[in-house]
Parts: sequence; structure tokens; C-alpha cells
Amino acid sequence: MEDLLDTLTRGNPLAVKTVLASVMFALAIYQLILATVGYGKLRPRFLESGPAFLTHRASGDVIVVLLLVVGAMCLATGEDEDDAAFHAVTGWVLLGVVTLKVIVVRWWHGAGRLLPLLGSAVFLLLGLTWLGSAGEYLS
Amino acid sequence: MSRQLIGSLLVALAIVAVTIVVVTAKLGPNAEESGEDSGKNRTEQREDNSGKGSDED
Repeated sequence: MEDLLDTLTRGNPLAVKTVLASVMFALAIYQLILATVGYGKLRPRFLESGPAFLTHRASGDVIVVLLLVVGAMCLATGEDEDDAAFHAVTGWVLLGVVTLKVIVVRWWHGAGRLLPLLGSAVFLLLGLTWLGSAGEYLS
Repeated sequence: MSRQLIGSLLVALAIVAVTIVVVTAKLGPNAEESGEDSGKNRTEQREDNSGKGSDED
């Protein structure tokens, strides 16, 4: 698995993970803005609630795919840094909360009022996970 | 409405592109001028991946 990862990333799995995680975090910030527009807390003249939520959903799908890819890369390469435990905990909790959010969005509509809370939790956990790995690598 | 949708999706694409460019610029081969540490990190990573390891520790 590690050999495959090395081949796919041309020997730079950490750099590729950093780029993908940073893309996720940047999209998460955009997600936050889109959700604010979608829920009507922010009302720009150029974007209505409907298109904001549709883009929020599309962008969220991209984040989920990237999250699974980066998570698989983390498991394949392993972490030997001092704060790997913090990164692992936030990463696993993030996966759990994202899974719950997807379940609520797709099937469990009765729990729809939890979506703002779940979305905020996903953003917070994504930020913490990014700070604990990619953020440190870039600094 | 569709114009707004396309516009917001294009913004998302632009965010992805800009992030890739900025982060790659910080990690890429030309980044060694901007920081000694990032170059050192990459060297260590290459050594780790080649299986030779590093005896700096």
C-alpha cells in the first residue's frame, strides 16, 4: 500500500496530503459562508439561498471524497510526529461527525435541525485536524 | 438562479485552484529560497520514502 502511495504521489505523500488537506480547509471556509447565505443570516444581492445550498451540497461532496482519500493516506503512511495522537483523534471524530451529517442530509430528515450544529462541528474539527498536520508542515 | 449557481460553483473551483497554487508554491522546488525548514522537511521525507532512513536522530 505504501509503495502504491509513493508511486501515485511520486515519492511525496506528505506534500500531496498537505495540498489536499489545505484544499479541504479552504472549501470548508467557503462552505461556512454558503451555509450562512443559505440560512439567510447573510443576504448578498448576487446570491440567493437556493443556489447557495446547491453549491454547499456539491462542495460538501467534494470535501467528503477528499476526506476519505486523505484519511486513507494517513492510515497508509502512518504518523510518527509528537502530536500524532491529537491529529488521529480529531481525524477520527471528524470522520464520525461527517458520516452522521451525511446520514442526516440523505436519510434522517427528522434530525435536520441538527445540521447547523453538525456543520459547525465539521468545520471546527477540519480546522483542528488541518492545524495539527498540514498547518504545522506549512509553517 | 442558474447564473448564480454557476457563479458560486466557479468561485469554489477558483478557491481550489488558488489553494493548490499557494500551497504547492510553498512546498515545491522553488520554495527552498523562502524557508530553510521546508526544504529540510522535504529532504527528510525523500529519505524516509527511499527506505534508507536518516541517522540524524
